[in-house]
Amino acid sequence: MSARVLVVDDEPQILRALRTSLRGAGYDVETAETAEGALAALAANPPDAVVLDLVLPDGSGTEVTRELRTWSSAPVIVLSVVGDESEKVAALDAGADDYVTKPFSVEELLARLRAALRRADAPVDPVVEVGDLRIDLEKQAVFVGGKPVQLTPHEFALLRVLARNPGKLLTHAALLREVWGRGYGEESHYLHVYVSQLRRKLEADPARPRYILTEPGAGYRLAERA
Amino acid sequence: MRTRAELVVGALVSAGLVLLVSAVVALLKPHVPVLSLGALYVLAVLPVAIVWGTALAAIVSVASMLAFNWFFLPPEHSFHLRESQNWLALAIYLVIAVVVSALAAGARARREDAEQRRLEAHALAETALDLLRGRTLDEELGRLADLTAGVLRVDAARLELGQRPPIEGERALPVGAGLRSVATLFVDEAATIDEAVQRRFLPSLAALLTVVVERSRLEAEALEAEALRRSDMLKTALLRSVSHDLRSPLTAILASADALASPGLALAAGDRLELADAIRDEATRLDRVVEQLLDVSRLEAGAVEPHSELWHVDELVGRALAGLGPEASRVRLDIPPDTPPVEVDAAHVERVLANLLDNALNYSPPGSGVVVRAERGATELRVHVVDNGPGLPAEEREALFQPFRRGNAGQRGSGLGLAIARGFAEANGGRVWAQDTPGGGHLVLSLPLAARPAAIRA
Repeated sequence: MSARVLVVDDEPQILRALRTSLRGAGYDVETAETAEGALAALAANPPDAVVLDLVLPDGSGTEVTRELRTWSSAPVIVLSVVGDESEKVAALDAGADDYVTKPFSVEELLARLRAALRRADAPVDPVVEVGDLRIDLEKQAVFVGGKPVQLTPHEFALLRVLARNPGKLLTHAALLREVWGRGYGEESHYLHVYVSQLRRKLEADPARPRYILTEPGAGYRLAERA
Repeated sequence: MRTRAELVVGALVSAGLVLLVSAVVALLKPHVPVLSLGALYVLAVLPVAIVWGTALAAIVSVASMLAFNWFFLPPEHSFHLRESQNWLALAIYLVIAVVVSALAAGARARREDAEQRRLEAHALAETALDLLRGRTLDEELGRLADLTAGVLRVDAARLELGQRPPIEGERALPVGAGLRSVATLFVDEAATIDEAVQRRFLPSLAALLTVVVERSRLEAEALEAEALRRSDMLKTALLRSVSHDLRSPLTAILASADALASPGLALAAGDRLELADAIRDEATRLDRVVEQLLDVSRLEAGAVEPHSELWHVDELVGRALAGLGPEASRVRLDIPPDTPPVEVDAAHVERVLANLLDNALNYSPPGSGVVVRAERGATELRVHVVDNGPGLPAEEREALFQPFRRGNAGQRGSGLGLAIARGFAEANGGRVWAQDTPGGGHLVLSLPLAARPAAIRA
């Protein structure tokens, strides 16, 4: 049975393009043009995934996500535009799984959608492998090309959060909360510096990372495949 | 005006001086005719005249003559005089003492007046000098107020432009020539101010202030005119750019889409794919142009607010490389692992680096590489982007950073990239410039080193 996707956008030409491409990729597609319409469609016939524009005529995608998350864990991918970084991050913090920036390629959207649907039913694996990188969450050990890598406790905590959600975009706030707890403060200035340190220990070329990927203005994710 | 305490001190000192001179006269009496010693009392009158003025000096003159009469003129210890010539001598001494004291007090007043005028002239000259140095109005007002306080001999004064009502506890003095006042001077309510000084100095101050106000108005007008002129130039350039850089990809997209949709055309599968590719490539190019135009208008409007965080520069370079696509493989990195972090807006600096790299790749011959090198300075971090292109003569380097300029006719791109790079760099406290390097182009981005400690807890 093919997965059902609800696409929410108020621009008819974008809706048209997405409906055609998603159907072509084998999904059942339903559409809505407003926040209210989206919530009604979600309640009437819960979909397997949602593609959601951030700016809707009667509200924001962030509000729809927050509402949806009170009763459903179906993956949400938001459509954002350049210059809308804070709203994008708000939606991700409200529970959206991923985003693409307009104008986006259909290939990219389909890849994100596939990955989000796959993660939705995959159990957490105690051993995560990406290319030459091997993270053993139970033994708290990390190997690159079979050689063990020494990490500081905070570096490992950071990597563990990423490894528990392979491929998922984690926002700065989510990472800080998971690694330093709710009361993080000064650490927020240093998150990027920790990530750079971690990359220097794991990546062959830290400026062209293959394992820990940067999502500009949003957060980091662990690559699913190197 | 003398205070009561000063007068008491004056009287005591005067009495002491008269007694002192009398003692000297008593000492000299056996050796000199006593009548001639009366002149010594001038020595008591003179300092009193200089320090306490003519009134007290006149009293001291009379007291001196009485003392001289009492102690030394026969009959001694009486104000009677035995010989009538002594009357004449006493009268002459008195006249001399009074005249000398008047002369001394006058000299003192003239010296004080000269000192006051010197102070005023100095204050006005200082202000005029500051005007020539081109200080701003705000700096000027504070300085003028301080100088005025010195001239009027008050502890503190405050200057405000225009006519202002006094505030509780302060006296407001209009600063103006004629009816209109340019500014208002506020001094403490209790302060005493010499009327003559006020009448003489404040109009001169007003004349200078008028010049200051007029000058800053002209400067503001000139700035505004310059901004308008630049914005006009930019608009013209923008229109030219829009018609070229937006229309050509649009034309390609329309033509390709028409061809794909046309039922009359017999297209092979490969041709269809090529047309679809063309649509995608041109749309991507269009998106870049739109983004650059938006960047330029945001920078021109001063609407760029950096959201600064600590970043390692290799990460920022990495983000810029990720946006370049397959071209990124031509870039070689030389970033030492101990390069310190910088506190900047990552999205902005990524834009700077992407535009510098794009420029370098554009001007390098196909197949040749571009090098990105990080170098730590004392207070800044420099990122060098070096290519193998033709480079530029020194006099053309600054023009690179003007919007809508191109190094070479026929190159792709809107000619906005380097202007945007410089704009975003400056918004983050950094600089971008072109430098001389043998055998290629060389662009440098410098960013201030983070004020936060680079060392962190593990």
